[in-house]
Amino acid sequence: MSGPVTPPEQLETVKLWDPLLRLFHWSLTICVIAAWGLGKFGPNDMTLHFWFGYAVIGLLAFRVLWGFVGPEHARFRSFAYGPVAVLRYLGQIAARSPSYWRGHNPLGGLAVFVLLALLIGQVATGLFADPEDYLNVGPLAQYVSTATARMALNWHDILSNAVLAMVLLHVAAIGFYRRWKNEDLIRPMLTGRKTVRKKG
Amino acid sequence: MRNTLLAALVLALPGAAFAEEAKNPAAPRIAYFTLVGTEMNALVAMVKGETEYDAAKASRGAADLVALTQYSGDDLMAPGTSNADLPGKTRALPKIWEDMAGYGAAGKAFGDAVTELAAVAGNGKDALAPAVAKLGGTCKGCHDTYRAKDF
Repeated sequence: MSGPVTPPEQLETVKLWDPLLRLFHWSLTICVIAAWGLGKFGPNDMTLHFWFGYAVIGLLAFRVLWGFVGPEHARFRSFAYGPVAVLRYLGQIAARSPSYWRGHNPLGGLAVFVLLALLIGQVATGLFADPEDYLNVGPLAQYVSTATARMALNWHDILSNAVLAMVLLHVAAIGFYRRWKNEDLIRPMLTGRKTVRKKG
Repeated sequence: MRNTLLAALVLALPGAAFAEEAKNPAAPRIAYFTLVGTEMNALVAMVKGETEYDAAKASRGAADLVALTQYSGDDLMAPGTSNADLPGKTRALPKIWEDMAGYGAAGKAFGDAVTELAAVAGNGKDALAPAVAKLGGTCKGCHDTYRAKDF
């Protein structure tokens, strides 16, 4: 399948991702991988897991704020599309040509919301989780009932798998764009510059 | 959803629900680990400074843990008492009975940590803290593998 070729005169290279957004992205990458790995395979003393978790909380707080007051392409409003737009985008995603999308495309935008929601759920349940080892008790577990702390631990475990699935899907999508659609999405997240279709 | 169902059940059939509770074959095991947790809680409270460190009290707590590790747990681990057999009544995973050697090793790590703890519990808070942390690690080691996160 070959997609419609966009004439070069309809393309431009613009500053798409602002520096703070990029710093946020790669910091989140490091902190989530570190927290996840330490959670699954780390030592019995999970102090480092906790600190990476707190870092994720700070980063998520920044991202939510940036979603309202940040530059255009960081704003939630700019990539909150309805189901019709998502389906329409999905319908032509198999085309073997770059999307040249300005910002998060409808499907990618949806993935951002899902990943942010999962991570917010993950840090929230972590704060209240009590594994009853007297060592790695969530800092807010003492303020809720034993049953609630247990439920938080359970959801922290379930959501950790959902976060893994979402991160793998994210990386697979980047690979798909690179290999199938011949569009590099990693470089724009490093330099901020991306070739996109001109407006209008 | 499950909580709603449980609540409805408890409201509708209080007598039956309590009778059911008393019949839980996993109850003795849960009671045993409740005792372990009670002693551990008191020691952790001292380490965290929530209660004053008291050498005699710490030694007694450690001695109680030693006594608990000397309790033969055979009856507590009766077959047919996993969370697959008794859903909602225990978090003990069937893996315990499938991997008794591994479960025994986790139990031995716990016992060894208790022995170490008992040797230093009376020697001050700074001696108690690492021993309690090590013991907590053996709690986690076993919970991670042999206990479900929730009922």
